Amino acid sequence: MTAGDLFLQQAINGLSLGAMYSLLALGFTLVYGIMELINFSHFNVFMVGAMIAMLTLQAFGLHGQETILTGLPLIGVLLVAFIVAMTVCGFIGVAIERFLLRPLRSVKGPAAMITTIGVSYILFNVVLLTIGTDSKNFPNPLPPITWEIGGAVLRLREILIWVIALVLMGGLTYFVTYTKLGKAMRATAQDPEAARMMGVEVDQVVMSAFFLGSALAGASGMIFGLYYNLAKVDIGFASGLRAFTAAVLGGIGNVPGAMLGGVLIGLIESASGQLVGTAWSDVVIFGILVLVLVFRPAGLLGRLAPNKS
Amino acid sequence: MLTRRNAFKAAAGLAATATVGVSQGALAADKSIKVGLNMSFTGADAESATRVANGAILAFDDANATNAIKGYKFEYVKFDDGTATAGQYDPAQAATNAKKMVSDKGFVAALGPQMSGAGKAMAPILSEGNLAIITPSSTNPDITNPKFAAQYRPAGKAIYFRTVATDAFQGPNMANFMAKTLKIKSVYILDDSGAYGVGLADAFQGQIEKLGVKVLGRDRLDPKAADYASVLTKIKALAPDAMYYGGVGQAGVKLAKQSYEIIPNVIKAGGDGVYSTDLLKGAGFPAVDGWYATQASPHVTEDKSAEVFTTRFFQRFGTHPDDYAVTCYTGAQVIIQAAKNLVAAGKEPTRDAMQAAIQTVSLKGSLIGTVEFDENGDMKNKVISVFQIKKDTTKALDDTEGQYKYIGVAPMA
Repeated sequence: MTAGDLFLQQAINGLSLGAMYSLLALGFTLVYGIMELINFSHFNVFMVGAMIAMLTLQAFGLHGQETILTGLPLIGVLLVAFIVAMTVCGFIGVAIERFLLRPLRSVKGPAAMITTIGVSYILFNVVLLTIGTDSKNFPNPLPPITWEIGGAVLRLREILIWVIALVLMGGLTYFVTYTKLGKAMRATAQDPEAARMMGVEVDQVVMSAFFLGSALAGASGMIFGLYYNLAKVDIGFASGLRAFTAAVLGGIGNVPGAMLGGVLIGLIESASGQLVGTAWSDVVIFGILVLVLVFRPAGLLGRLAPNKS
Repeated sequence: MLTRRNAFKAAAGLAATATVGVSQGALAADKSIKVGLNMSFTGADAESATRVANGAILAFDDANATNAIKGYKFEYVKFDDGTATAGQYDPAQAATNAKKMVSDKGFVAALGPQMSGAGKAMAPILSEGNLAIITPSSTNPDITNPKFAAQYRPAGKAIYFRTVATDAFQGPNMANFMAKTLKIKSVYILDDSGAYGVGLADAFQGQIEKLGVKVLGRDRLDPKAADYASVLTKIKALAPDAMYYGGVGQAGVKLAKQSYEIIPNVIKAGGDGVYSTDLLKGAGFPAVDGWYATQASPHVTEDKSAEVFTTRFFQRFGTHPDDYAVTCYTGAQVIIQAAKNLVAAGKEPTRDAMQAAIQTVSLKGSLIGTVEFDENGDMKNKVISVFQIKKDTTKALDDTEGQYKYIGVAPMA
């Protein structure tokens, strides 16, 4: 492998990580943009998404990496698994909002945030008790097709992940920019009071933010499984924390910012694994975050929010 | 011989005496010799913990059923050093367990822990309480190394005994095997940043460098991170003959998966941390195929001499024992023998007396040969066995006994 190949390979690795982080970061950003709430339950909604996707694939009779599908069956199985994971996670998000956070919406202070931490632990422990703590072998029916670009290897799996992430992010951008509900979301994010006076149903907006964010976390969980062929009860914290960092780096509350932040964090992680050592990845990532925030306190694409009080 | 029914009767009898003891005081009841079993029953190592602890349970139930020591019964209490948050053993929990045992005068000896990180947390506390513990599988050499006596046995006496060899042998002997038998010329070394993993990788590195094998790099994995692709890509670019990993399953499973995809043709090896059901289940075939692993004990579960033991173990618990279930069984036998020696000499098996008796015990004809300890608590007889994962479809794919093929004993360093 030449230095150029190595660079290319690490960029491929980083982009795949970045796609996962971006989808996950969007969930943080959507909820924060509208409610100014850091939703820590998002960490484990992602983990639940990976588990649901795994159970769905297993329901198709797929175990481990030994069964390979091609053509329509492959597309069908993946599509069903994505839809199930996203829908279940979406409704988990809605349930969290409706039953646990809505009663606290008028309460000032950190009560809502603490609640999300509690919910995160509840999700963690439910999976712990029902599915167990050991590493699960995530079924992967993708054929092992690879392309050699110089000395670097590009796998079908990576292309699939990028395409899915792009489609989902494109869809979200379209939704937020052009649909009525999307406009209502942006309006609520800017000024909830004025939006309400203009006839925006704030409850509906908040609920859709939770649904969309959580569904993206579900998709991200499925991608995690396909990428690593693995699901485990503790995957939420490490990936979730990086995704949250990505959202802050890009400017929390800002949709393109979350996408950019995710990709950057993925690339940084990959580069630091090559140059510094994997054990130092967190130090490098958070070091860069701190540096960026010193010079751009609102993140790369964020603007300091107008005072909403 | 103890059949399942007898064992059940014995257990029922024991329960009955215990009830009587509660309602009528200690009248006529046998005195109990209380032993703590500290294993990682929660988390990634839960299955092996149960299996290892069952080795001890079998030995104590045998002793009770056959009235091995007149007037005494063995009583074992399980302690769990694994926590859900850690996902594996948690040193803080291990320390808490050690404190619990030490503060209860009833405990006169203990078995465990499985993991060196837990052992490091427990050893100083047990030393202050002079409570002897026998570990069936923790192999970090520091704990019994006299150089670190101030840290791990501040009270002076050896209290951390082992029925396994240490990584001071496991790493270097494997280095010999890889250099001499596999004839590797270059290697990349990884560890999982735990006490066991770092120690093992250090010991391996020291010896492999001496043998003239080129060490192309050394990196540390964060066991909680998911992605090792970047470091594996770096390794791919360096193209070593082999990769050696010091660590346990948490990072090992992810490493096995990702290294299979990125560096499929590099020889992969580790210590006893990659000899696990967790690896077979979590990473699975084809990813784990070809991995080398070691055990810091003689391989006896396939041996004729152990047939009776393995059969009875399977009948009683429904799972096959592994080599560390054997070392734990042997550890329990050491405790039984030590108590027997004391009672035969007319002494009470108190905590202090048990420590002294274990130190001087000589258990002949056990499944792993003669067990005697040196002044630090290490076993005098040290054997490292090498295994390789080879897919065997006639056995369960997550059964360590079926999938790890015994290669032989690694040459002494």
